[in-house]
Amino acid sequence: MENGNRDLITREVTLNMGPQHPSTHGVMHLILHMQGEKIVKAEPDIGFLHRGMEKIAENLLYSQFVPYTDRLDYLSSMTNNLGYVMAVEKLLNIEVPERGKYIRVITSELSRISSHLLAVGAWGLDLGAITIVLYAFREREMILDLFEMLCGARLTYNYMKIGGVRGDLPPGFIEKCKEFVNIFPKRVDEYEGLLTGNRIWLRRNKGIGVVTAEDAINLGLTGPSLRGSGVNWDIRKDEPYLVYDRFDFKVATGENGDCFDRYIVRVEEMRQAARIIEQALQQIPDGPVNADVPEFVLPPKEDVMTKMESLIHHFKLISHGFKPPKGEVYSSIEAPKGELGFYIISDGSERPFRVKIRAPSFVNLQGIDHMSKGAYFADVVAVISSLDPVFGEVDK
Amino acid sequence: MNELSTDNHKNSSSLSIKDLLKKVFFIDLIQGLFITFNYTFTKTITERYPDDEKWIPYKRFRGLHTLNRNKEGKELCVGCELCQKSCPTQCITVIPMEDKTGKGIADRIAYRWEINLLRCMFCGLCEDACPTEALKLGREYELASFSMQRQIRSKEELIKPQPIPVEFEGGVIVRATLEKGDKEIKVKPDLSVQKRWW
Ligand code: SF4
Ligand code: SF4
Repeated sequence: MENGNRDLITREVTLNMGPQHPSTHGVMHLILHMQGEKIVKAEPDIGFLHRGMEKIAENLLYSQFVPYTDRLDYLSSMTNNLGYVMAVEKLLNIEVPERGKYIRVITSELSRISSHLLAVGAWGLDLGAITIVLYAFREREMILDLFEMLCGARLTYNYMKIGGVRGDLPPGFIEKCKEFVNIFPKRVDEYEGLLTGNRIWLRRNKGIGVVTAEDAINLGLTGPSLRGSGVNWDIRKDEPYLVYDRFDFKVATGENGDCFDRYIVRVEEMRQAARIIEQALQQIPDGPVNADVPEFVLPPKEDVMTKMESLIHHFKLISHGFKPPKGEVYSSIEAPKGELGFYIISDGSERPFRVKIRAPSFVNLQGIDHMSKGAYFADVVAVISSLDPVFGEVDK
Repeated sequence: MNELSTDNHKNSSSLSIKDLLKKVFFIDLIQGLFITFNYTFTKTITERYPDDEKWIPYKRFRGLHTLNRNKEGKELCVGCELCQKSCPTQCITVIPMEDKTGKGIADRIAYRWEINLLRCMFCGLCEDACPTEALKLGREYELASFSMQRQIRSKEELIKPQPIPVEFEGGVIVRATLEKGDKEIKVKPDLSVQKRWW
């Protein structure tokens, strides 16, 4: 490096960080080219968790692929389910009933909170602030409890289905959810008390991993990583899907595009998500949760037991699936980590011809070289945490 | 522009007297310590699993499969094979047969019904597919064992009555005892002593 003292220039070393390094968030392998303690180049090497998701989709019925999407970004399975089923619904041209839409909003916002809690918690852990992860996990457990009550699983929910959700809200869910929404803002204050003003936290994050708005757009960053640089882009606001246009919420943005701004954006997004849930719980109407389209959507269980016609539809849908019209669709949602898109090509048969997944972590990860160039080795850890990549999604 | 995030930056870049005092007296660190210190006096939320306590899941929990009977005690499964067809990982095997009553097709039941838990991902699609409500995913979640063979469970075992009654709401931590056998380790719950953690 030309700005350093000539005598101190050392030979460039290559350091392999991961795939089993505790602070690389899963199985990330980072090849760091270093000049002393400074990073010259950071190359992510991916693929350790590759399971061939897109190929698996080509061999399954449309409805059978939903549980596999759980395993993309396994920290917020709900939004993955949503992204996929919304793409298929767009292909089939199905409209989900109001109550179904509200339930989808509530669950995906809860999912956003739980994902950000883990992001912030693990970030603290990586930088040596261990307390925060314990507190964050407590609230995350509450959300997982709510999800267990709702759909029976704590991690891989498989709750959304094409044309609606797998079951209506169980009795007692709304009260418990309200209780959580009441507690939660105070808990966020607590996290901020631990981190936001803390001088060590500020030193480790301010001015680290800076990416300007222009660079962020050019790199294709989305989600908190983009908004941290001050770009006000949130699909929930700018291209509203479901019923997001009915809620009053702010899109959090940063200014400097450093790690600290990305942290602030996440914290603020948690607060806003809690506000959305609160409003949705107030507005949620009664009615069916699943679309009444027997050609594509399974009829309710009671009908199957009593009506011959529904039974026939049920048998047909389960054993042969449905045939959507020929065509291509792209549909995207604002997942906690950024824009999650599904591009589906249908050739008119019961299985998709091709499913392309635009995974936010995968695209965000390419910002790592730009962000960590010239920084110290220890800063790379902060940069990784601030991007919050999940490797189920990166490797697919 | 959003005012949410900006105030934090402004304050720290232009260091005022107040900030300086905060820095000198370690107020930022003391604030954090105060939060953790306060937790010394709150209720414990951790669960002493598996020695003393156990989590009983909610009703909709998707654990080990169960096969059910109707009120008269007749098997509900009609061997229609829909669960087998709907399973994305093909881990269910159903071989149907006619009952010995000689009623023909009206008395079709499953001759063999097997689930390979090594492949199962507990997605619940089989439960949705079953037209008679015979198949439900139950609340049993301690599935570790010492042999692979044990992971293939058949109808004879799954049709036995559930240790936790179906009506039980769940979502509570109950008292439990740890029992170590040579084949499996089980935690026996005692449903009468319950507590909620939030
Ligand atoms: S839960 Fe899913 S993977 Fe397991 S047997 Fe049922 S359909 Fe197959
Ligand atoms: S369990 Fe249900 S779906 Fe499976 S064969 Fe029996 S009746 Fe059919």
